[in-house]
Amino acid sequence: MDPTVFREQLTAWLDDHIEELTPVDGGSSLDADMEHYFRVKRALWATDFGRYGWPDSVGGLGGPALYRAIVGEEVASRELADASCWTMIEVLAPTVAAFAQPHVAAEFVPAFLRGDEMWCQGFSEPGTGSDLASLSCRAVKVDGGWTVNGQKVWTSFVQFSRRCILLTRTGEPGSAHRGITALFVDTDSPGITFRPIQTQHGRPEFAEVFFDDVFVPDERLLGQANGGWQVAMDILPYERSTTFWHRGAYLHYRCSELAAHLAASAEPVSATAAKTLGEAFQAVFTFRARSRETQHRLANGGQLGVETSVDKILIATAEQQLLEAARELLPGVIEFDDDPRSALWRTDYLYSKAATIYGGTSEIQRNIVARRLLDLGAES
Amino acid sequence: MSLDADDLAMLATGFEAAMTGSSPSADAEAALFELGWADVLSVDPLGGARAAFTLLGSTGSTAALLDDVMAAALGLDASTALCLAFSVPHRAGPPGRIVDGMLVVEGLVSSRIDSADTVVVVAFDPVTNDTNVFVLDAGQLRGGPTAALDPSPTFRRVSASIPLDRTTPIAITGEWATAVALARVALAHQLIAAARWMLATARQHALDRVQFGKPIAAFQSIRHKLAESFVAIEGAASVVAAYEELSDPLVAALSKSAAGKAARTTATHAQQILGGIGFTTDHEFQQWLKRVLVIDTVFGSSTSLPTEIGTELLRRGEAPRLIEL
Repeated sequence: MDPTVFREQLTAWLDDHIEELTPVDGGSSLDADMEHYFRVKRALWATDFGRYGWPDSVGGLGGPALYRAIVGEEVASRELADASCWTMIEVLAPTVAAFAQPHVAAEFVPAFLRGDEMWCQGFSEPGTGSDLASLSCRAVKVDGGWTVNGQKVWTSFVQFSRRCILLTRTGEPGSAHRGITALFVDTDSPGITFRPIQTQHGRPEFAEVFFDDVFVPDERLLGQANGGWQVAMDILPYERSTTFWHRGAYLHYRCSELAAHLAASAEPVSATAAKTLGEAFQAVFTFRARSRETQHRLANGGQLGVETSVDKILIATAEQQLLEAARELLPGVIEFDDDPRSALWRTDYLYSKAATIYGGTSEIQRNIVARRLLDLGAES
Repeated sequence: MSLDADDLAMLATGFEAAMTGSSPSADAEAALFELGWADVLSVDPLGGARAAFTLLGSTGSTAALLDDVMAAALGLDASTALCLAFSVPHRAGPPGRIVDGMLVVEGLVSSRIDSADTVVVVAFDPVTNDTNVFVLDAGQLRGGPTAALDPSPTFRRVSASIPLDRTTPIAITGEWATAVALARVALAHQLIAAARWMLATARQHALDRVQFGKPIAAFQSIRHKLAESFVAIEGAASVVAAYEELSDPLVAALSKSAAGKAARTTATHAQQILGGIGFTTDHEFQQWLKRVLVIDTVFGSSTSLPTEIGTELLRRGEAPRLIEL
C-alpha cells in the first residue's frame, strides 16, 4: 500500500476512535501510561494497522518499516501513548526476530508486537556507560544453558517487562567486544531482582537489575556464543531510524503546541519570542528532514551505519533547543505551575537533559563522526 | 518539468569549466549562457539553480547568476544584458518603493550592473498596496560603493531616487515571493558548498599540521569542531533537499537560514583550526569567510530568518510537518 494512502486510512481510523484511544489520566502515573499503551497497541494490531511493516514470520503483513514509522508518528502526534514506551518494540523486536532461534522468535515476538507483553534491554552497567564493550555481567556455560551473575543499570520498563535482551561477558575479562554473548531472558526467572531509579524528571522508568545465579536455557541464546556484539550493533539502525522518527514526531507536535499557544495569546508576541520559536522549529525540522532521508534509505534496501550518528546529534540538539524555547516562551510555567499541561512541559524539559547522554553521548557521536565520517585517524 | 541527473551532470561539467576558466566573472556568465543557462532555467529552474549555485560555492566563482534565477522566476527573459535589484541585507521585501512620484530603490545589486543594459526593479506602492515592476537603464543604478567586505564584487549596495517618468513600467507573470523563495534555495546551495570547501580545507590542515609531535587532528577539541561543522552542514543539506519535495516558501526560508548557520559555524571552526595562516591573505580561507558573510545577508540571514520563520508559525497557528514519509 502506498504510504500516503496508509496514512490517510490510519488517521481516519484514529480520529474516529480518538475518545477510546486517548488516555483518561495521561501522564499521571507510569502504571496508568503502561496500561494505556497495551490498550492502544492491541487495538492497532486488531485493526491490522499495527501489523504492516512486520514480516509474516512474526505475524505481520510485510512491507517496509516505513509503515511502522507512520503509525508511531500518528500515535505520538495525538499523545495516545508514551513515546519512549511505544518505541521499545522498534529497538528490540527486529533484533530478536533476526537472531533468536526461529521457534523462539515465533513464540514470543508476536506477543510483544500485539501488546500482550513488554520487553526490556539489559546493556548498560554501573562501570559501562559509553564504553559498552567493557561490560562485566558474567554468563558461564553450564549443562543445558547459562548461569548469569552481575548487574545492569538504566534498564527501561523492567517492572512491566516479561523478557529482557541481555548482554553478558562470556570471554576473558579483557576480551572486550569479542567475548560478549546476548541472551533472551524471562524476567520472572529465579534470581532476578530490580530497584527503580528515581530520576530528575519524576518518572521511575529506569531501574537497576541484579542477576544472582540466574539460569538461562540454551535455546534462549541470541546469535552465536561470543557473538553478542553483532547483536548489539544490529539494534543500532532500528534505534536510529524508526525510534528517532517517533521521538522527532513528538517534538514536532510539541513545537506545534507551543506555536498554537503563542498564536492564541492576547498579548502581542515580541520579535525576540518569534525568533526563539523560529530557531527551535528550525532545529526540529532539520532533524525531520534528515530522518526522513534515513527512513527512505532504509526502505530502499540501504544499510544504515555510522552516518546515523548525525541523526543522533541532530535530534538531541533539537530536543534540548525546543524545551529551552518552551521554558523561555512559557514564563514560569515549568518552575511554578501544576496543571497537567504545565506538568508535561516540566517533565519533558527535565527529560530533555538526558537526550545528549542516553544511547551514546553526543561526545561519543562526535568521536564517531570524526573517526569514521571525516577519516581523521586515531585520537591521541 | 525537471532535467534528469545525466543532463544536470553534463551541464555541471560545462559550468565548472566556465567558472574556473573565466575571469572576470562577466566572461563566466557569458560562457554559461552559451552553454544553455537560460534554457535550463526555463525548463528546470530549481535543478538549474542547484547545479549552478553548488558550483559557485565549491569553486569560489564570482559569477553573478542570482539575477538570472530571479528573472526566470518572475517570467522575464534571462540574459547577460539584464540585472535585478535585490532586497536590503537581511530582508526580503521588494527593493523599490513608490514615494511621491519617485521610485526609491534601497537594496543590493550584483556585479552584473557594470555590464548590463537594463535593470528591473520590483517596487511596492504603499498607497495602492500594489507591487509594480519597472525597467531602468542599468546606468541609472550604477556608481554606488563596491562591496566593502568581499573584495570580489559579488553584491553591492544600491540607493537611488528616480522620477517615475524616467522609468518604464512593465507587466510580469511571476510573483516576487516565489522568486525570493527560489533565490533563497539557490543561495542555500552556494552556502552549503562553500561550507563543505571550508570543512575540507580545515580537515586537511588538521591532518598536515604537526604540533607537540602529532597532527593536531589527533586532539579531541579539534575533532569535535570538525564534527560539529559536518553535522551542521549535513542537517542543512537535508533541509534544502526537502524543498525539492515541497516548494513551500517556509521551507525556502528554513533552507537559507540553516545553510547560513552551517556556513557561519563552519567558518568559525575552520578559522580557529587554521590558526595563524588562516588569518593571512597567503591563505585562500579569508576570501571564503568574506563571501559566506556576504551571501548570508542576501534575502534574509541566519540571524534574521528565524524571526521570520517564527512569525510565520504564529500566523499559521501551528508548526506544520511540511514533509511526510
